[in-house]
Amino acid sequence: MIGLRGGITIAIVLILCSALAFIGWGAERAAQRTIAPEILAKANTVARSAADLLGRAGTVGVPFDRLVGVSDYFQNLRAANPEFAQISLVSAAGAELARAGDAAGFADAPQARIPVADPSGRRLGDVVIVVDPTAVTAQVGAVLVDVAFIGIVSLLVALELVALVVGSRGIGALMAVERRLKALGRGVLARQEGNPGAAGTLVGPIDRQVNALAERHAEIRAAAEARGDAAALARLGDLETRTGLGRVQAAESEAAIAVRPALFLFMLAEELTRPFLPRFAQTIAGSGAFSPDFAASLPIVAFMAVVALCQVPFAGISERLGRRPGFVIGALLAATGYGLSAVSPSYGLFVGARVATAVGYALVFVSSQGHVVDFSAGAARSAALAVFVRAIMVASLCGPPIGGVIADRLGAPSAFMASAGLALVALVVALLTLPKTVRRAGAGAGVGLADLKGAARAPGLMALLFGCAFPAKFLFAALCFLLVPLELQRLGYSSAAIGRFQMIYPIIMVLAVPFFAAMADRFDARGSFVVAGAVVSGFGAMAMVLNPSIAFIVVALVALGYGQAMSIASQSALVADTAAALGGGRAAGVLGLFRLVERSGNAAGPASAGFLMATIGFAAATTLIGTVVVAGAALFALSGLRTAHHPRRASSAAASEGSSA
Amino acid sequence: MARTTLGLIAVFALIAAACVAFGAYFSYVTLLNAHRSVIEARFGIAAERVADVAEQAASLGIALPAQSTLTSLLDREARVEPAIRSMDLADERGIVLFSSDPARLGIAEAQDGGRGLTRPVRNDLNEVVGHVVVRYDPQILAAGAAALGNDLKVIALPALIGAGVATIVIGLLLAALLRRAVRRAADPGAWPPAARAALAAAERVHNEVAGKSRSGKSPPGKSPSGKSARGPAESRRRA
Repeated sequence: MIGLRGGITIAIVLILCSALAFIGWGAERAAQRTIAPEILAKANTVARSAADLLGRAGTVGVPFDRLVGVSDYFQNLRAANPEFAQISLVSAAGAELARAGDAAGFADAPQARIPVADPSGRRLGDVVIVVDPTAVTAQVGAVLVDVAFIGIVSLLVALELVALVVGSRGIGALMAVERRLKALGRGVLARQEGNPGAAGTLVGPIDRQVNALAERHAEIRAAAEARGDAAALARLGDLETRTGLGRVQAAESEAAIAVRPALFLFMLAEELTRPFLPRFAQTIAGSGAFSPDFAASLPIVAFMAVVALCQVPFAGISERLGRRPGFVIGALLAATGYGLSAVSPSYGLFVGARVATAVGYALVFVSSQGHVVDFSAGAARSAALAVFVRAIMVASLCGPPIGGVIADRLGAPSAFMASAGLALVALVVALLTLPKTVRRAGAGAGVGLADLKGAARAPGLMALLFGCAFPAKFLFAALCFLLVPLELQRLGYSSAAIGRFQMIYPIIMVLAVPFFAAMADRFDARGSFVVAGAVVSGFGAMAMVLNPSIAFIVVALVALGYGQAMSIASQSALVADTAAALGGGRAAGVLGLFRLVERSGNAAGPASAGFLMATIGFAAATTLIGTVVVAGAALFALSGLRTAHHPRRASSAAASEGSSA
Repeated sequence: MARTTLGLIAVFALIAAACVAFGAYFSYVTLLNAHRSVIEARFGIAAERVADVAEQAASLGIALPAQSTLTSLLDREARVEPAIRSMDLADERGIVLFSSDPARLGIAEAQDGGRGLTRPVRNDLNEVVGHVVVRYDPQILAAGAAALGNDLKVIALPALIGAGVATIVIGLLLAALLRRAVRRAADPGAWPPAARAALAAAERVHNEVAGKSRSGKSPPGKSPSGKSARGPAESRRRA
């Protein structure tokens, strides 16, 4: 039985896919009607300019039919305008005097024909430009790819909003009904825990049947126990196992994943800033003391460094404050930071505002993670952490394109204000959805320096952390947060387009992580997957040396996505295995060290990238960072891939780590 | 309960409609950006040509303010495209040195406030020594934006309404199915097959164990509701 909630979620997916496909079709028609004529208008402009130049040749006495170098001139024009299939000069009698390109296959292609006249106005011939219809289709197709990205974002936002509604307490009665029907559908005759509330009259008959059955079962069991009938007790026990009879089925614990909508909204606030932040930082820095690349990287580095440094101490603070207050204070701090970023009159204040945002971000992250851990246990914890990670990944998918569009349309300060608004909405949602937690006055010892030192002595751990975990985050943060946005900006791409490029990595991660985690489990080759992933992402970045073009930027992002998808779950699993092998308090030290090293990679990546880009340029910087990643993987491989080992863990460990900051 | 269900369906319909509106708006922005880049590529050709000439002259040692023949070039390039309002060559501080519109000479581009397309002019050391600025008729962009807006409105409104209505219809259908399932679940004879099988198994075991306790006889079983126990096949027949 799917139920109302599940059914309507599937229905919304189907309805939105259909509606967005319809809009895509409309967008294609609109693009054909507006973009295609503009390309023809461009052909007319070029033809007019060429005709004007050729007409002026007559004023200096060069006969029209003896002009030289016209084909070369046309060839240059075609090189600058690849959407022109052919440019030709024809005489008034119809003879072709010069030509570049070949439009033989384009019989009905649109063409611009502009007359060439001498100073007296006498027509000497025509400049004819044939527009390549496939180039027009390609341009419209590129627009449609962008529209498809928008469709994916809309769908994901819709699903998160559905999850927000479904997770609210207002539909408890409906959930009580669905829980009972689902149990019957599975042949479970257990009593259902909790008060059905407004659904009491609806579910009363079901509960009465199940209760009567349970009472009879209890009587018969008591009688069998009284006479010591072991065979009867065994049969009754078997019946209980098969049907749940006589047991009470706990209500599905939604508490652990109640943080999902608030976390999604909060993470979305930060992800909005990704595409325009480097450019905004450069603008606000002006032509001051810093180079443009350093000015772009400093706020990112400051943010990442503060997040890295705060994570470990904030674990204890969040526990002492309580998860909900921790989330609320963090969100308030971050919202203030975004607001200050929007109105910062100086670069220094802007960096300060980003630091305040980072403190809030770290507190929200730690409090959310703590909430999930507090309200889940065993296998349910992995599932709850998977939901937690999914919220972050979906936010990192949806945020950049939305932030880019807001920045393009309304300006970067407005986009920062949108982030501030979203952080405040997340705060309100957290207040409404997160349960009140008890503050633990004695808690908060957290992970200390001694724990980290102890963890560093775990066999093979440092090779894994510094050979793979650190370089992976180093490359990710350098490429996605600084190098690619700045290079795309240099190539003339808008913030919205940069945001769509930034979607490539999280899309691949969302789709490929479960697959590679399962493969690593199946082949029991987690160390190999970590090395292979690092090599794939490293070589993807190194390929930039071949041709620093848009195609190779896409190659680097795709390789980064697949490489990280291959390695991230296995890497987490290896660390978790090491922690489990050490046991006791030292396990927390291993995990704390892992997080610290990863987050340090996030901070060091943009810092180094900013410096390298200013000194050796985009292509060389990307290649060099890719080389570092491959070298790190080689170091780990040469260390013998030695870490503690528990089979079949990667898929569950995938839930323990996100890929964002 | 009914109010909760209807409220939930209404909220889901709003979400569906809002996300369609969101998708349509962002598609509109995407098309608008594509349209603007095609238009700017069109006007950019003239700007590139003037910048090329200025750079060639600069490489021969002629400083930008001394390239007086640029006025006629700017005038000619501006006349090529009727939508161009003016073409300026400004120095690195943004002061207009030459222009197709004589009234613009000497003014600062930054103070002008108008929107234009800019191409840098660089010297042999790759330093920016000036800018070519093309000012085109903003009506071209506005007309394109209006056409795109109208095109997408025609598509988006029905899609938005359709998505909302479809969500409501499917929601009501699912709610009706749920209510029917709840009604049927009140009678064990109409339970789903898995539940009926579990019930039959439970009654069989109960009867056997209870019968054994009454000197090894197996009396006919009674269900908790007082009805006789039925196997799944019998229940299915009854259903």
